[in-house]
Amino acid sequence: MELLAALTAGGLAGIGMWLLLDRNLIRVVLGVAILGNAINLGVLTAGRFAGDEAAFVTATTVPADPANPLPQALVLTAIVIGFGLFAFALAVLKSVRESHGITTTDSVTEVTEEPAPDVDEPGFPSGQDDEDRVHARGRKG
Amino acid sequence: MGQPMLSAVFAIAIAAFLAPMLSAKLDDRAGWLLALAPMGAFLWFVSCIPLVAGGDVVTESIAWVPALGIEVAMRLDGLSLLFALLITGIGALIVLYAGAYLSDHHHLGRFYAYLLVFMMAMLGLVLADDLIAMFVFWELTSVASFLLIAFQHEKSVSRRAALQALLITAGGGLALLAGLLLLGIAGEGWRFSDLDVAAVESHASYYAIMVLVLLGCFTKSAQVPFHLWLPNAMNAPTPVSAYLHSATMVKAGVYLLARLNPTMGGEMGWSTVLVVVGASTAVVGAVLAIRQTDLKRLLAYTTVTVLGQLTMLIGTNTTYGLQAFVLYLLAHSLYKGALFMAVGAVDHATGTRELAKLGGLIRLMPLTGGAVALAAFSNAGLPPFFGFIAKEFAYAGLIEMGITGWIVTAVMIVTNALLLAAAGLVFIRTFLGPRGHYPREPHEVSVPMWLGPMLLAIGGLVLGAWHHLPETWLVNAAVQVVARGTVDVNLYLWGGVTPAVIASLLTVSLGVFFYTFRHHVRRHIARWRVLWGVSGDLVWDRSLKKLFRFAGMLASNWQHGSLRLHLTLLSLVLSSAVFLALAAGGENLLVGGEYTPLSVPAVVGCLLALVGAGAAAVMRGRLALVAALGASGLGLALFFLSANAPDVATTQLMVETLTVVFLALVLRGMPAIPGVSAEGRLSRASHILVSLFFGLSVAVALLVAVNLPLAGNIASWYMENSYPGGHGGNVVNVILVDFRAFDTLGEIVVVALAGLAAATLLGGGRMTAMTRHGEPEFDSVLLRQGLRPLAGLLVLVSLVLLWRGHNLPGGGFIGGLVAATGFILVVMTFGNRFARALMWTRPTFLVGIGLGCAVGAGIIGLLAGEAFLTGLWIFPLGLPLGTPLLFDIGVFLTVFGSVMHMMQRLAGRVA
Repeated sequence: MELLAALTAGGLAGIGMWLLLDRNLIRVVLGVAILGNAINLGVLTAGRFAGDEAAFVTATTVPADPANPLPQALVLTAIVIGFGLFAFALAVLKSVRESHGITTTDSVTEVTEEPAPDVDEPGFPSGQDDEDRVHARGRKG
Repeated sequence: MGQPMLSAVFAIAIAAFLAPMLSAKLDDRAGWLLALAPMGAFLWFVSCIPLVAGGDVVTESIAWVPALGIEVAMRLDGLSLLFALLITGIGALIVLYAGAYLSDHHHLGRFYAYLLVFMMAMLGLVLADDLIAMFVFWELTSVASFLLIAFQHEKSVSRRAALQALLITAGGGLALLAGLLLLGIAGEGWRFSDLDVAAVESHASYYAIMVLVLLGCFTKSAQVPFHLWLPNAMNAPTPVSAYLHSATMVKAGVYLLARLNPTMGGEMGWSTVLVVVGASTAVVGAVLAIRQTDLKRLLAYTTVTVLGQLTMLIGTNTTYGLQAFVLYLLAHSLYKGALFMAVGAVDHATGTRELAKLGGLIRLMPLTGGAVALAAFSNAGLPPFFGFIAKEFAYAGLIEMGITGWIVTAVMIVTNALLLAAAGLVFIRTFLGPRGHYPREPHEVSVPMWLGPMLLAIGGLVLGAWHHLPETWLVNAAVQVVARGTVDVNLYLWGGVTPAVIASLLTVSLGVFFYTFRHHVRRHIARWRVLWGVSGDLVWDRSLKKLFRFAGMLASNWQHGSLRLHLTLLSLVLSSAVFLALAAGGENLLVGGEYTPLSVPAVVGCLLALVGAGAAAVMRGRLALVAALGASGLGLALFFLSANAPDVATTQLMVETLTVVFLALVLRGMPAIPGVSAEGRLSRASHILVSLFFGLSVAVALLVAVNLPLAGNIASWYMENSYPGGHGGNVVNVILVDFRAFDTLGEIVVVALAGLAAATLLGGGRMTAMTRHGEPEFDSVLLRQGLRPLAGLLVLVSLVLLWRGHNLPGGGFIGGLVAATGFILVVMTFGNRFARALMWTRPTFLVGIGLGCAVGAGIIGLLAGEAFLTGLWIFPLGLPLGTPLLFDIGVFLTVFGSVMHMMQRLAGRVA
C-alpha cells in the first residue's frame, strides 16, 4: 500500500507540476488541484496504512489495530482548504479572462506589470551648482 | 523625575511630536514654545556642571531588551556634558532661528519636528553608555539628517544631497554596528564605561574593530574620502546647516573617536591613522574652501577642515593635543554656528550669498555684522578669542609629537592660514568695503535671527578672555575622559615665546598674505584643473549609476516575472535537495519499512487517479477535461476508503463533486484550450524533465519517510482518549472538533476568507445582480420535479451527518459540503432567488454565524474556567450535547456559507 501510495502521490505531483508549467492558465489552475491531491495523499501516506479497521471506538471498546486517525484529520481539513484555494484560483482565472481577455501566464505578467513610476533618470546634477533660494521668491523682508 | 537625562531626551521627543500641531496653530511663534524643551534640558545640564567638574558622573538606566541584556544606560561625564550643552544650547537657538528663517514655509511644523527628532537622537547619542543604544541613536541621526537635508524635496539637488548623506553615513553605520558588536565581545562589556582595555587590545579582532569603527566615524565626520556629502548637504535650509555642521551630526563621529580613544588609542596604529586621515582631510578642506565663492559652501569646506583637525588632535594623544581637541571642539561649535546663522541672515536679507555681490553690509545690518566679526576673529584664531587658545594648544600638541609633529605642524600652518583667509572673506568681503549689488534691499533681521549668532559669538569672546571659566568647569573633565590617564589642564592666552606662538604668528602673516593675494591663490589652485576633473562627486555619481544599472540587471534577471521560470527553478531546487539528501544518506533509506498488503480497490483507485489526472493534463476538450479531473478525484476517494479513512473519502468525494461543478461553470466562458503540442518542442521536453524529476523526488521522499519507524504513539493516545475525553466514537471527528479544535478554527477561517475573496473576485458587474435575481441555469420542468426531492434529501442527510458525526462517519465539514451540494442543485434548477429564499439569509451571514459559533464554543470553555475551546458536555434526557457539537455546527455553517457565497456568483443566468 505504502509503495503504491507513494508512487501515486509522486505521479500526481509530476502531473501537477507539468500542468503548472503550462502556458495556459486553465491548465495551471488544474495543476493546483492535482498538486493539492498529491500532497493530501502524501500526508496520509506519511502516517502509514497500518491497521485493519477505521478509527472508531465505542464507549467500551478500542479496536486492537486501528488506522492512524491523526493524518486523516489533517488531510480532511486540507482537502476543504484545498478546495477553497482551487475556487480562488478559478475566480482569479475568470476575472483575468474578463478584465484582460487573456488566459496565458506570461502575458498576464506583462499586462499586470506596469513600468514603475520613476521620478527621473538618475542623471544627477554634479552638485556644484548650489541653488538654495527658498525664500528668494515672493518674499520681501 | 528620577531620571532627568532620559526625561530630557523624552521631552525633546515630545516637542517633536507636538511641533506640527503647535506650528499649525501658532505659526512661527511656536518656535518660542518648542525651544523650551531644549532650553530646559540645557539648564539642567548647566546645573550638572559643578558635579561633573568635580570628577563625578551621573548615571541612569532602564531595561530595554532584558533578554539580551541591553539597557538604555545613560552616563553623563565631562565629554558627554560638553556635547550635551552644545546640542541643547545651540539647539534651542536654532529652533528660534528656524522659526524666523522659514516663517513663511508651509511645512514649518514638519521642519520643527525633524529638527527636534534630530536633536533628540543626537542628545541620546552622546549620553548613551550602552553600545547598542548609542548605535540606535547614531542611526536615528542619519535618518533625521536625511529628512532635514531633503527638506526642500522639490529640488533635485536636495534629494541627491540627502541620498548621498544617507548612503555614506548609513553605510558607515553598518560598519560601525559590526565594529561595536565585535568591541562588545572583545571588551567583555556592553557599556563604554565597562570595556576592558587590556582585553580589547589583546583580542584577535582588534584591527577589525578598529577598521570598522573608524569607517563609521570617518563617514559620519566627513573625513577624506567620505567628505563629499558634507558640502552637498548645504542644499538644506540654513538652520539645518548651522546645526548639523557646528555642534551635531558631523561631530558625532568625532565624539565617538574621542569616546573610544582611551579604549582603542594604544600603540597599535589608531593614533597614526587618525593623524594621517585628519591631516589630509584638513588640507583638502582648506584648499577647496578657498576656491568657493558661495558663502555657505565656503563655510562647509572650512567645517571639513576643522573636522580633519579635530580627528588629528585626538590622534596626537598628547597633553596639549587632547586639550586642544576639547578647546577646538567648543570654539568651533560656537563660531561655526554663529557664522552659519549669520550667513543665513545675510542671504535672507540680501537674497544672495555670492561674495562678488556682497559688501558694505555693516551699515545696514550692524548686529549681524557684529556677530560675524566676533565669530570670524575666533575662527581666524586671533587673540583674545577662544579660537586663539584652541589653535595655540593645537600647535603645542603637534610639536610635542616630535618629527612627524613638525611636518604636520607645517601643513597645519598653511591650512590655518587658509582658514584665516576664509574668515576674512566672510567678514571683510561681506560687511566692509563698498556697497554690493544686492538682489534685494537689505535690512536688519528680526530678533531670533541675530540673537543666536550674537550669543554664540560673544560666548567665543568670553570663554577666551576669561579662560579660567571653561578650564575649571568644562575642559578639564572632558579632557580626562578623552585621555588615557590623567592630564593636567592649564589654559593660557600668553605662555611666553614658545614654538606654538611662533607658529601662530606665521599662520597669521600667511593668512593675511593669502587674503590679500586671494585672487592669485585662487588662480593657482584653479590651475590644477586635472584634479578637479576627478572630483569625488563625479566618481560618486558614476558609481551610483553603475550600481543602479547592476541592481536593475540583477533584479530583472531574477525577478523576470515569468511564473514558469520561477516554478522551474523552485521545483528543481526542491527535487535536487531531496536527491542530494538521498545521495548523502545512502540507499538503505529506501528499504526496511514494513508495507501493508495491497488491496484491489486501492490499486484501482490509484490507477483511476493517475489516469484521470494524466488525461486531464493532455486533453483539449473542456467537458472531457472536467470529467477526467473528476474521475481522478473519485479514484483518490476510492483509495482513501480502502485505506480505512471513510471520513476523508467522503470529504474527497464531496469536494470533487463541487470541484467539477465549479470548474464546469467557469470553463464554459473560457476559450478552447490549445493542444499540448502548441508549445515548442524544446520547452515541452524541458517541462517533462522538470515534472518527472519533481514527481520522482516526491515519491522518493515519501518512500524514505515510510521506511523510517513511526515516532511516538500519538495515534494510540487519541484512540484511548477519544471516548473518555471527547465523548465521541469517531476519533477523526473528535480530533477535529475537540483535541485539535484550535487548528480547525484557523482552518475554517481560511476557508471563509478564501470564499469571501473568491466571491469578491467573481462578483464584478452583472454577477452582482445575479446573486439576488439569478434565474435557473436549466429551465426544465422535468428536472425541477426530479431534483426537488433529491435536493431536500441531501440537505436532510447533511443534518444527519452533522449530528452523528461525533460517533460515526460525518461531521461539520462533510455535512456542510453535502448541504452545499444539495443547494447547488436548487440554484441550478430554481435559480438564485429561490435558493436565497430557502436559505432565509445571505451566505456571508451564515459564514459569520458559523465562525461565531466556533469561537463561542471556545469562549464557553473560557467562561467555565478552562482553557479556550475545552470541550464541555451536558446530557439532558440522555442526549449528548457539548461545546464540540456547537463547534461542529460552526464548521458546518462556515463551509456551507462559503461554498454558497461563491456559487451564487457563478451559477445561473441574469434574468
